[in-house]
Amino acid sequence: MARQQVLEKTKVSDRIFLFQPCVGSNKYPGLITSATEFFRKLGIELVTSDDQTCCGGFLTFTNVAQPTSTMPAVARNIAVAEEMGLDILTLCNGCHTFLTEFSHFMNDRPPVKNVVNVILSMIGREYKGSQDIYHSLEIIYKLKEKIRKNVTRSLSGMRFATHYGCHYLNGFKKTALDDPHMPTIMEELIEAMGGEIAEYGENRTCCGTGLTQIIINKETLSLPHTKMKLDNLNAAEPDAVVVVCPYCLAQIDRMQQKLNYRGSGDYKVPVIHLVQLVGLALGVDVVKLGFDAHAISFKNFLRKFESVQAKAEVVNG
Amino acid sequence: MHETNKEWLPGFDKKFAELTHQMVKDLEKCLQCGKCTGQCPAAKLSSYNPREIIRDLRMGNVDKVISSHELWLCFFCSGCYAVCPRDINFPFAVSMLRYAALAQGYGWEEVKEIKDPYAQDYYNTGLSVNVNERNLGVKKEIAKNSGTDGRIETVRRKMGLPPKRKISQRAMSEIRFIADATGMTDLFKEIDKKVAKEKSWNYGSPADLVKVKKGPNQKFIDIEDEEKERIS
Repeated sequence: MARQQVLEKTKVSDRIFLFQPCVGSNKYPGLITSATEFFRKLGIELVTSDDQTCCGGFLTFTNVAQPTSTMPAVARNIAVAEEMGLDILTLCNGCHTFLTEFSHFMNDRPPVKNVVNVILSMIGREYKGSQDIYHSLEIIYKLKEKIRKNVTRSLSGMRFATHYGCHYLNGFKKTALDDPHMPTIMEELIEAMGGEIAEYGENRTCCGTGLTQIIINKETLSLPHTKMKLDNLNAAEPDAVVVVCPYCLAQIDRMQQKLNYRGSGDYKVPVIHLVQLVGLALGVDVVKLGFDAHAISFKNFLRKFESVQAKAEVVNG
Repeated sequence: MHETNKEWLPGFDKKFAELTHQMVKDLEKCLQCGKCTGQCPAAKLSSYNPREIIRDLRMGNVDKVISSHELWLCFFCSGCYAVCPRDINFPFAVSMLRYAALAQGYGWEEVKEIKDPYAQDYYNTGLSVNVNERNLGVKKEIAKNSGTDGRIETVRRKMGLPPKRKISQRAMSEIRFIADATGMTDLFKEIDKKVAKEKSWNYGSPADLVKVKKGPNQKFIDIEDEEKERIS
């Protein structure tokens, strides 16, 4: 699907259901707060629910539960948003993949949907398939011009490398917003906020988490793979690397600490989720961005950012 | 070791159709161009070879594939699907082939790694990622960066959030009902039964971590020497 078609299909309502990711709750809580805060600045309310749990779909793709078990679990989470009449915004490539794949599977097969609803009826819920599920890139890119107008702290003078992650562009190559091989949407967003792009060759390479890779095979493949990516990334000398998936964030952030600890180099590139970056540019309180929870320090990044801001004030002032 | 050449699809489907939800049938369209293997991060670092796995299945070497260690090396990055001229969603096929492997008694130890703690956390707390940081090195970095004790609860409180994300009682009873009614809980028990091994680590008290002998499976645990001294 061409980008224009996807954008036309994307509808941004005043109220959207924020599907809270597990990693975004228990490892990097800044994702949820910065998304909530900056969407409020754009006049959009993100609604959360205590009834929403882990998406559940990952249990099937990691082979610990049959699809017959996780199909109702995923449908239950979608039903929570449907009961509120809201579309769903996901901040994680994994949540987006599982919610989308499972809802397509059920919508295309009425018998499956009926069986799922028999189980859900026992807990007083129903899956209708009436609401849209969006990846954060789709909604944020749709709001690009609005974001450009609302930037209060320009990112000019800062260099960012991008990392798109795998499951959105690769896995949805027919329906995603951009081309899986040479995507530009994140670069366009960063430039809209005044930032510069640090290009590097391994941009489209997987972060190394690999859904189950790091869990099953520990570090045998994951660590050398991430090191290769990081070495390439460091050569471009970015101030930070921007990601759209909490798992990529965790992998690139924590593996740097691990490599440093083992004495395999001096890695110190801060990793930032796109919602935190937009929050930073739109003037969300830095404490709310949650950089405190990152393993790689944002001290140098914020120092440079503030000095750039101060210079800009003198020029404009 | 090659088995005799036979039409793989009817044989494979007969045996595993129900398990694999017919998701592996697209493999018959494969051109053997090898683009998948060319870009594959796992192929770069190991003997994993998507093109060869497809070829083996087409040649009827089903057992060779599902008993292989290679089946568990996929990164699930979907890069092979992105480059495939025939739009074969190979990571889906891998996931479904793993079910076929489990049915034949292979791969239970690999699955146990995911069940503990991730799937168990899902059942116990509603979230698949635990709030406790088990990499002490990371915890130390977080403590240094944030000026706190490094626990995520403290960082959350500093941000004006409740120490833990709230999951309602209703949600918990609902997901447990679904898990019990659909056989998820039974499968968990089966995994525990088949792979009766000691938990390789136990988060909570750092003293527990030190007790664990370092082995190939304990690479995850990074304890700095001074940390060890402090505890002992």
